[in-house]
Amino acid sequence: MSGREFVLHTLNGFSLGALLFLLSSGFQLIFGLMRIVNLAHGSFYLVGGYVGLTVLIAGGNFWMALVAAALAIGVTGLIVERTLLRRLRGQPMPEVLLTVGLSLIAADLSLARWGGDPILLPRPELLRGTVELGGVTYPVFRIGVFGLGLLVVGLMWLLHTRTRIGAIVRAGVDDREMVAALGINVEAIFTGAFTLGALLAGVAGVIGGVFLSLYPGADGEILLYGLVVVILGGLGSLPGAVVGSLLVGLIDAFGRAMVPSLSYFLLFAPMALILIFRPHGLFGKPD
Amino acid sequence: MLTIERGRWLALAVVGAGAVALPYMVDSFYVNMATQALYLGLFALSINLIAGYGGMVTLGQAGISGIAGYTLGIAATQFGMSLGPALVVGFLATIVVAVVFGALAVRTGDVYFLMITLAQGMIIWGIAQRWTTVTGGDNGLRGIDRPGFALEYWKYYYFTLGVVAVCTLLVTLITRSTFGLSLKGIRESEGRMRPLGYNVTLHKFWAFTIAGAVAAIAGLLLAMFNQFVSPAAVHVKASADGLLMSILGGMGTIAGAFVGSSLFVVVTNYVSGYFDRWPTLLGLIFVLTILFAQDGIVGAWNRLVWAPLLRRRGRELEAERTVVGVGGPLARGQPVPASTSNVDRGGERAPVPVGGSPASNAIEDKVDREA
Repeated sequence: MSGREFVLHTLNGFSLGALLFLLSSGFQLIFGLMRIVNLAHGSFYLVGGYVGLTVLIAGGNFWMALVAAALAIGVTGLIVERTLLRRLRGQPMPEVLLTVGLSLIAADLSLARWGGDPILLPRPELLRGTVELGGVTYPVFRIGVFGLGLLVVGLMWLLHTRTRIGAIVRAGVDDREMVAALGINVEAIFTGAFTLGALLAGVAGVIGGVFLSLYPGADGEILLYGLVVVILGGLGSLPGAVVGSLLVGLIDAFGRAMVPSLSYFLLFAPMALILIFRPHGLFGKPD
Repeated sequence: MLTIERGRWLALAVVGAGAVALPYMVDSFYVNMATQALYLGLFALSINLIAGYGGMVTLGQAGISGIAGYTLGIAATQFGMSLGPALVVGFLATIVVAVVFGALAVRTGDVYFLMITLAQGMIIWGIAQRWTTVTGGDNGLRGIDRPGFALEYWKYYYFTLGVVAVCTLLVTLITRSTFGLSLKGIRESEGRMRPLGYNVTLHKFWAFTIAGAVAAIAGLLLAMFNQFVSPAAVHVKASADGLLMSILGGMGTIAGAFVGSSLFVVVTNYVSGYFDRWPTLLGLIFVLTILFAQDGIVGAWNRLVWAPLLRRRGRELEAERTVVGVGGPLARGQPVPASTSNVDRGGERAPVPVGGSPASNAIEDKVDREA
């Protein structure tokens, strides 16, 4: 592999990692805090992308699409948590299965509304060109995605470590009952976390629509990546989500380039190893 | 006299007779639907064995079931094996995969188990989809034969019926064995079974492996029915469908798997002809079942109809015994006057003594088992 290819795959890995972080930071926040494996998270992503598409068709620009998707999916998440998941609180399996049912419905309705052809969203004007980086001509948009990923990491980190809500979330990940016993309204925190996670997934969907295109089944594929990120990184750990996203992004980028037919295995082999030797992930704490 | 015990056997006999007579009553479309309901029911039963009896919800069972179909297809089309040996190879390969997957998955619990099985299923799907030289990729594998004696649709139906009946009987025996009961114990309280000396992990491993064997047979029946395997058969959606069937029918019940699969087949084959958005309908059914009827159709039947019936029967037996006891000269086995045997009825709840009689205990146990 030449130095130039190495740079190219590294850049690809980093930008994919940033996209995965947008998706999986919410996924693992929900998982860590509420112990819900939200298998509808991929649907949030895909429907978010389609909402963005609808805004673009209606004449809006990329940024309007991004905001609309964030709001629409955020509100969807809020409604799902308030009206459905709340009824099943404390029953981990029914909670997961409910999200499975929702993802089936979302997939079918998306197919009915937006069709089965892959759709690539156009890049925003501002990020349309290319730049020279280490001898590689690279699209500005992907650099921008990486920048957005960094920004969200920074904001999440501030939220986690510098605010009262962040402190409650960290405490909640460690011991929900104790937090509730201290008189903190855990339900409100849960709703907030779920809404924020959904919102980020909606944003990721619009960006993913430019990056990877939107098609039926993209929900399951991206969910799987998110799952690997969470298992690698560890439950409820922000550094885990960052490192896991970058790892998965890099493994995927190099795997696709070097051994295309085996890239799937390259993704799952480390996950299987982690599950065997460190079931709580690289940064997670045992229950 | 038609007691409820006899009634149960009678119901089973009626269902059995109906199943045998079916090809004489309806045309090929419905017979093929019934064939699908049978092998899908067996598939749902394998999920039920892990999830309903073992308490471990899996989202990767279609992958395991698909290994059987794919191995059969590869052995038959690429290696030119005849059907018999190819079936054996398919079955054994699935067992091997189930053992490896099970060993990895049962080390963890709850949501982790679900995520690992989901990932395992996706690996199989990835292989089916991308290892095109062997699996045919998106196009799948054609050219899987049915057994020579079961080529026509109705003969294949009888073949499936026979295989499914034998497998269901075996699974029923397993769930009623000591192993099956300890498995239920683990589902109810792992933390109590461990100190009692049960090797919880080993029990889960065996449950996973046995379920893998059942899923293998379902997968072989499916592949021979369609004479074709494709990645769709191993997709997570197929696993979720199986889970839907077993939840809809009733987790932890044998009949539930088949009730669920029958409903599923009706929606996918029949309703789909009139209503394009049938996957949405299935999803809605799934969500509503989880929200409002977690014990499923058979579970609700047991709770609302069967258990009260058994309790009433228990009170009747109790009443008869009391009369026999009080009556002194009336020896056991002699007919009890109708007027006195009914003393405890008439809307009044018969007192159930603490500890109960052997008869009522047996009945109560049965109620507990069914409920």
